[in-house]
Amino acid sequence: MRINDRVFGMLMLILAVVYGLEATKFPIPFGGHESVGPETFPIMLSIILGVSAVYLMVRPDEDEPWAPVSMLIELSVVVLSMMAFAWAIEPIGFMPAAALVVSFLSWRMGANVAKSLITGVTSSVVIFLLFNNVLELALPLGLLEF
Amino acid sequence: MDTMSLLMQGFAVALTPESIMFAVIGAILGTLIGALPGLGPANGVAILIPLAFSLGLSPTSSLILLTSVYAGAMYGGRISSILLNIPGDEPAMMTCLDGYPMALKGKAAEALAISAIASFIGSFIATIGLVVLAPILAKFALKFGPSEYFALFALAFATLGGITGKNQFKTLMAAAIGLMIATVGIDISTGVQRFTYNTLELFEGVDFIIAIVGLFAISELLFFLERHAGDGLKQVAINKLKLSPKDIIKVLPASLRGAVLGFIAGVLPGAGASLGSFISYTLEKRVSDKNGTFGKGDSRGVAAPEAGNNGAASGALVPMLTLGVPGSGTTAVLLAMLISLNISPGPMLFQQNADLVWGVIAAMFIGNLVLLLLNIPMVGIFVKLLSIPPKYLMPVVTLIASVGIYSVSHSALDLYFMVGFGVLGYIFRKVDIPLVPIILGMLLGPEMEKSLRHALVLSDGDWMALFNSGLSIGLWTVAVLGLVLPIIVGPIVRAKMKRSKDAVKDA
Repeated sequence: MRINDRVFGMLMLILAVVYGLEATKFPIPFGGHESVGPETFPIMLSIILGVSAVYLMVRPDEDEPWAPVSMLIELSVVVLSMMAFAWAIEPIGFMPAAALVVSFLSWRMGANVAKSLITGVTSSVVIFLLFNNVLELALPLGLLEF
Repeated sequence: MDTMSLLMQGFAVALTPESIMFAVIGAILGTLIGALPGLGPANGVAILIPLAFSLGLSPTSSLILLTSVYAGAMYGGRISSILLNIPGDEPAMMTCLDGYPMALKGKAAEALAISAIASFIGSFIATIGLVVLAPILAKFALKFGPSEYFALFALAFATLGGITGKNQFKTLMAAAIGLMIATVGIDISTGVQRFTYNTLELFEGVDFIIAIVGLFAISELLFFLERHAGDGLKQVAINKLKLSPKDIIKVLPASLRGAVLGFIAGVLPGAGASLGSFISYTLEKRVSDKNGTFGKGDSRGVAAPEAGNNGAASGALVPMLTLGVPGSGTTAVLLAMLISLNISPGPMLFQQNADLVWGVIAAMFIGNLVLLLLNIPMVGIFVKLLSIPPKYLMPVVTLIASVGIYSVSHSALDLYFMVGFGVLGYIFRKVDIPLVPIILGMLLGPEMEKSLRHALVLSDGDWMALFNSGLSIGLWTVAVLGLVLPIIVGPIVRAKMKRSKDAVKDA
């Protein structure tokens, strides 16, 4: 099958056109037009991207297989868990957030619940101590702050 | 001042206790990272950059630390090749050919020791090459004007796909995407906002450290999950080391040839370490394989590619330091580091930051010695690491990468960006879009645009000014050749590499 490259090429072509059009709308800089303004280089890039995108659609490579839908859902959950970590690091604190995300990832990679929790808790405590006390980079304590 | 006295000054920088400490730490960390299957030097350096940053290390210390990590990872790559038959990255592939059969024959310790010696010879000779060649190239590059620089950047992108890349258009595409990301932010020369949509965070552009960690480290985690590499891998047991001087003398010529070939492959744009280890092995086989023992556990077949890939790693630093144009993924990451420290690599580096350059070069000599000493007696410790299942290790590595990013700016937004780049990296790798040109585009974009505008302003907007000197025409010619030649030669080389790879699988 040669679908991946066609779809990707299409998306990139749209990106090239939008990017190029946006570049032509840049305001004229203070002091009037120059022979090469802020839009020249972006327009060149949009042409290069556009041409290679068209080439990809015309002569696509063989597809690399995508993961089955169940795995894609799994990967999305993992991505969401990392987003959740980013959200939680300040209000909840580094140690609990890191312990949760590492345990979750280990568990999703096939470790059993107990061992995942051990990995998560130890690694978050060790890294916290290493960063805070040895390297002197403060990480947020969050809920553990009294 | 002549090279020798500059190098001596370099040793004065590199022999301070602080520098030695960073070289040793880097060598250990690098070997650990390289030994893990799936993690290579590029990921290793990418994960550690934010750390070096947030610790506020001096440019010299950071660069010593990261070049040692780089060298260490090239050393470490051989451990998983020999014991597991799984190369950590592409350059380590050729070491599997004779290394794994040697291990199966009960000579794992010998294979590890010989590969460590060959790695040392490769790096050592290539570092001497670097000392000799870099100042000459830097002096030559001083003649470059803006139009030559623009041509040089074009050359860097054109040759980046290299001979082992599959589709030149995908390389071009990746470069364009990287350069486009680089245009986001306030235009330095006119102050016009470009593609910021009035978002304050985008005014200074997209931070490439975040992009590097996302594209390399986070996407690697996603790939790992998909492959479900759940358990520790079965490795060959290690015997007691029995190595006679005769065994070492036997592999010396192979190591020396490999070192020189590797260095040349490293210096040439777009060739890199994969080609370095490949041609070293192929040539050695042609020269030495009289009894058909190659591929069945011949020690010279271990020495040649290891000397080759380590030689190439040091060779790749030549264009990176002298021209500001990296030849490989890892050197691109190192370049990112330099730029972030407000040091612009290129010919001026050798004049303005002589201490830094020569300090780092001297540190490479020391780092290699440390690596050799570390790798022969302590190899058992690194081997233990291979038995930790990735299901515990990968999440922790990901955590370290995220903490590094967070510590740079203390902003959770950067972490969202990092994950976003990770997802993009996963998709790009699925459609075979190479990641290195994207990074390189982000890095070189501002300089490339500056030289284009500079050249055109000087000529009153005459585009022919880009081809106004013999030098720039020469660079453009090489660039075009670099883009076209792989289309012709590439399939032949790839077919040969594939045949060697299949031979590994059959073994």
